[in-house]
Amino acid sequence: MAESKISPYNLADLKNTTDDALGNYMRSLGFQQNNKTTDIKLAVGYVGCIIAAAAFVADYKLGWEATKTWTAVAVFAYMMLNGFYSYWVYFVEKGLVFEGSKSGNSVSISSKTNKHEPTYYLTITTNAPPTDPRKIQAPFPTWFTADGFFVAQPFQQWLASSVGVIGDADAKNAMRDQRDELASPKMPAAEASMLEDIGNGIAESTGFEGKGKSGKRSKRK
Amino acid sequence: MFGSLANMQPRQLAAQILQFALVLSTAFMLWKGLSVVTDSGSPIVVVLSGSMEPAFQRGDLLFLWNRRQETQVGEVVVYNVRDKDIPIVHRVIRRFGGGSKPLQLLTKGDNNAADDTELYARGQTFLDRKKDVVGSVAGYVPYVGYVTILLSEYPWLKTAMLVFMALTVVLQRE
Repeated sequence: MAESKISPYNLADLKNTTDDALGNYMRSLGFQQNNKTTDIKLAVGYVGCIIAAAAFVADYKLGWEATKTWTAVAVFAYMMLNGFYSYWVYFVEKGLVFEGSKSGNSVSISSKTNKHEPTYYLTITTNAPPTDPRKIQAPFPTWFTADGFFVAQPFQQWLASSVGVIGDADAKNAMRDQRDELASPKMPAAEASMLEDIGNGIAESTGFEGKGKSGKRSKRK
Repeated sequence: MFGSLANMQPRQLAAQILQFALVLSTAFMLWKGLSVVTDSGSPIVVVLSGSMEPAFQRGDLLFLWNRRQETQVGEVVVYNVRDKDIPIVHRVIRRFGGGSKPLQLLTKGDNNAADDTELYARGQTFLDRKKDVVGSVAGYVPYVGYVTILLSEYPWLKTAMLVFMALTVVLQRE
């Protein structure tokens, strides 16, 4: 995929580039895209256009008087279809970027931006475990350079570490080890074995006043 | 500029093209809808000549209504000369028939010296309200029609406008 430059001040470009990258990333992880919403929109829209084209041809070939009634029917049908198309785009498809599933986990992601605010808002709905739609957000400069180049890795890391199903599919970017480490830090191996030895009385613990076997400080007998 | 098109998924490209197609379709269907409502083949007409001055000037946009079949003397009507596609806007100065008999009209341009008998087809001495008249003028807007006059006198403007519109709609992603 060619790296193309956009204006980092153009909110529409930022959002569109990120949306495209999101779709590509999900598909690359093996999520099968579910195109039902888009397909319905395209079907309704193109049927409307076909009706309009048919009305145009009929009028061109046969004139107004002969086609009056059929034109009236066509206009009505077109208005209905166009109304449905507008409803679908505005309410159902609103902000939808990706809808798909992988090994039983289905996920639906829609994006949003607010005017004059360089933040990317995502709403994610998954079916496993069934939860309410989750909202996450991040500023665009997280994955765009000051020149306007898109950098994939921080974007993928943000997604994989914020969304469970994506992290499951992309272990490297999910950085689960780092997350678990932050939650409950484990001791480095060398120190852990030394503590064990002290407990067993084998090693001397420096700066600790106690009855060590090698200690000659104790005056009591 | 076209790079954004190349990187698109096929469905996205289809959706962009659909948006442009819908612009054209909706414009056409609105026009046809107006035709259906006014019952006229051409509900909006541009005045091309000065034959109706001072009432109508060249470049005026006229709105027609064709649902009143009992046209009166003094009404301004738009009619097509038989077998020709040129609409003419003139005033009705005589009527014959009407009621149960087919209505026949004689017209004359306000600014013309003679009535329209010369303009009608060979052998035709009157207009048939049902067959020849496109509609009677219900209202008008001055000057706006000049855009249409320009488009018909310089046909390349039509193509240029269409290409420009296509590019703007297809390449734009909101």
